[in-house]
Amino acid sequence: MIKLLFFGRLGDFAGGVSASIEAAEGLTPTIVRDGLAADHPALFAELSQSQVLISLNQMIVGWDQPIFDGAELAFLPPVTGG
Amino acid sequence: MNSTIRIQAYDFDLAAEYELLRQFDSAVGTVVTFTGLVRDLEKNASINSLTLQHYPGMTESLLQEIVDQAQQRWDLIGVTVIHRVGELLPSDQIVFVGVASQHRADAFEAAQFVMDYLKTKATFWKKVDQNGQQHWVESKDSDRTAKERWLRDD
Repeated sequence: MIKLLFFGRLGDFAGGVSASIEAAEGLTPTIVRDGLAADHPALFAELSQSQVLISLNQMIVGWDQPIFDGAELAFLPPVTGG
Repeated sequence: MNSTIRIQAYDFDLAAEYELLRQFDSAVGTVVTFTGLVRDLEKNASINSLTLQHYPGMTESLLQEIVDQAQQRWDLIGVTVIHRVGELLPSDQIVFVGVASQHRADAFEAAQFVMDYLKTKATFWKKVDQNGQQHWVESKDSDRTAKERWLRDD
């Protein structure tokens, strides 16, 4: 299973999105995002904005990073701490 | 170098944190501290409260990376970073950065560097309540510009 996390405003669009998905051969963050387009178009639109970063197991990665079983994938909007 | 990174819901005591930095080592010749507070305005409208969310685990690692970078760049003896999370009210303390070093230039610059990087890299998100309406705070170009000046110096 892959654990999915949506932070900040992305969380507001992620209501009803399952907290985890099945691992699959060749899975990448891009594929996970695109898989949300049909059932969650508003979330998909937010995730497609260029400032959204992703992390895999708490490390910032690119959208084509392979995702392995047991990973934690997080979608991160621009940060606003401090 | 001694570094302390804490993410906590409860408040911090500026004097106590200063004392810890002061007493790290007899070589400490200067301590610079920065404290960030909750402003009562967001986009020129008053706020009732502010809620801070973060990514537990990742936030601590990112802050440690920032502190490590500061240590490589300047001659530092101790660094403390404290960031609060959860619900805060106007004038509450949000963030503390304290830097102890032998000489003031290192501490001043490192404290600014840590804050500039924290604002643009560390995984915190602010949500404000304005008269019962909640919305997420947008990131600011000015914060990105503040961070970029350290890149130009490389």
